[in-house]
Amino acid sequence: MAIVNLQNVTYKYPLTHTPVLSNINLEVKEGEFVAVIGPNGAGKSTLCYTLAGFVPHFFKGELEGKVEVAGVDLKSTPLNEWVRNVGLAFQNPFNQISGAKYTVFEEIAFGLENQGVPRDEMNRRVDQALTMTGIRDLADRSPYSLSGGQQQRVALTSILVMQPKILVLDEPTSQMDPIGTREVFGVIRQMAERGMTVIMAEHKVEWIAEFADRVVALKDGKILLQGVPADVLTSHLLAENGFGTSRYTSAAREALKFNLWPKHLHLPTTLQEAVDGFNLTSAPSPKERGE
Amino acid sequence: MRERLSFYVKRESFLHHLNPLTKLTLAFGLVFAAFLSPWYWTPSFFVLFAIIPLSFIGKVQREYFGAALRLILPAAGFLFLMQSFFQPIGVKVIFKFWFLDITQESLMFAFTNASRIFVMVSSFTLFLLTTHPSELMSDLTRRGLPSQFAYVIISTIQIIPQMQAKAQTIIAAQRSRGLDTQGSFFNRIGALVPLVGPLVFGSLVEVEERAIAIEARGFTSTSIKTSLREIPDTRFDKMFRWFLILLVIAVIAARIWLS
Ligand SMILES: Nc1ncnc2c1ncn2[C@@H]1O[C@H](COP(=O)(O)OP(=O)(O)O)[C@@H](O)[C@H]1O
Ligand SMILES: [Mg+2]
Repeated sequence: MAIVNLQNVTYKYPLTHTPVLSNINLEVKEGEFVAVIGPNGAGKSTLCYTLAGFVPHFFKGELEGKVEVAGVDLKSTPLNEWVRNVGLAFQNPFNQISGAKYTVFEEIAFGLENQGVPRDEMNRRVDQALTMTGIRDLADRSPYSLSGGQQQRVALTSILVMQPKILVLDEPTSQMDPIGTREVFGVIRQMAERGMTVIMAEHKVEWIAEFADRVVALKDGKILLQGVPADVLTSHLLAENGFGTSRYTSAAREALKFNLWPKHLHLPTTLQEAVDGFNLTSAPSPKERGE
Repeated sequence: MRERLSFYVKRESFLHHLNPLTKLTLAFGLVFAAFLSPWYWTPSFFVLFAIIPLSFIGKVQREYFGAALRLILPAAGFLFLMQSFFQPIGVKVIFKFWFLDITQESLMFAFTNASRIFVMVSSFTLFLLTTHPSELMSDLTRRGLPSQFAYVIISTIQIIPQMQAKAQTIIAAQRSRGLDTQGSFFNRIGALVPLVGPLVFGSLVEVEERAIAIEARGFTSTSIKTSLREIPDTRFDKMFRWFLILLVIAVIAARIWLS
């Protein structure tokens, strides 16, 4: 049984005529990690908002088709009940801070207070979540005094502590520097390893290749192709449709033209695959290169 | 970025452990009694026998005296001077300065008013120094204040320094593109115009995202909210609040009686 089930989903924002999502069919199994890639304006954020219930309940507009998470139907469920099953984190970490709390510990407890969780349980769960995401040392800091990467990890922890059935992440590292990106992906790796069901819009392909069980490529609101990362990320369709590709894939694709990549091998998506592949190719001598 | 965004000073003291509503009642009680009392000495009495002792009980005397000397006293002093010079009441001139007559009545009037202001600002300073804002809000929500209302207040307190920082960034950015933000008054006013767009428009986007973020964390959940912090409300708290209410009533009664 799929935990996420989208059937023929088409959506238009209010006062607009072209659908931002058209005829999307997507099933996600429990424990699966699905990455959604696509150029700017492809509809990645809209898809995330749909899974999280904000489309249509917050943005209004016209939603056709069926959206189901954990057997619950979106259109007939109010947003405040829907969010119990689906956790959402998005790009700007600063705007995800509630603004009502003075320490990271309190900030993470905010969602549990809203759900009416008893105090003892609340303390225990916040404690566990802090340990799991490795930000225990930030517990007493003000959320506003943190770096972007730290704030985003606080935002992720604030969602995880609520124990949602699925987690939706909309380009959680797009506003981070390399250090912040690594910190945040560290937490995401944890979740993947714990078997959390995750749907993540992301354009940093190198990272996707590491985590994702499946990649969905979105273009103009339609699913262009989907499958295992090794197939989707190396498909020539991506390059032709303005998607970003992994630098390792691009390098190998170029190398292939000069017979510098072993033909029988799949194009690489990660650094390790690239290194392995290039090692197999015996490096041509300077004479062969015409020097 | 500043780490501390509120006045609150974390200490272990009797005052810190009072219920927030009790402290709020105390602050308002002192203010009402000081303003409504028929006797000119009441506010000074409060300063000597309530405000100053309370600052020691709350272990925030250093912070309080700092604020009192740098801010509250100069403000009250200024008010005192203005009112004693420009209050055209009374006949008993005790002092002449240029064309201004200072009468005993105007001096008295100015003194009472200045000390009332002193009591008012002092009580709220003590209140803010010893009360954690989230504790206050949790307590008031528990007593029926709508949580949306509490959220707006507390997030506004927190957001102001953030807005200031952002305005600074935008000013720096506009200046690097050649905007003149210095010089004459009109120059400065004119320079505000290109600031408003990014600040207001940026804030609207932010408000939408923040609304989504807190909604995603169950802010409008129909469950009865709980609170991370345990907020005590003892029998002493309740009795003390009644005492303060009675005190204000007594002061009002005295005022009516004596007039
Ligand atoms: N609130 C909105 N109202 C109307 N149109 C919107 C709104 N948000 C996004 N869009 C439009 O929907 C399309 C998809 O946007 P989005 O889902 O943000 O794409 P992505 O996240 O892939 O960049 C874009 O053309 C964008 O202009
Ligand atoms: Mg987006």
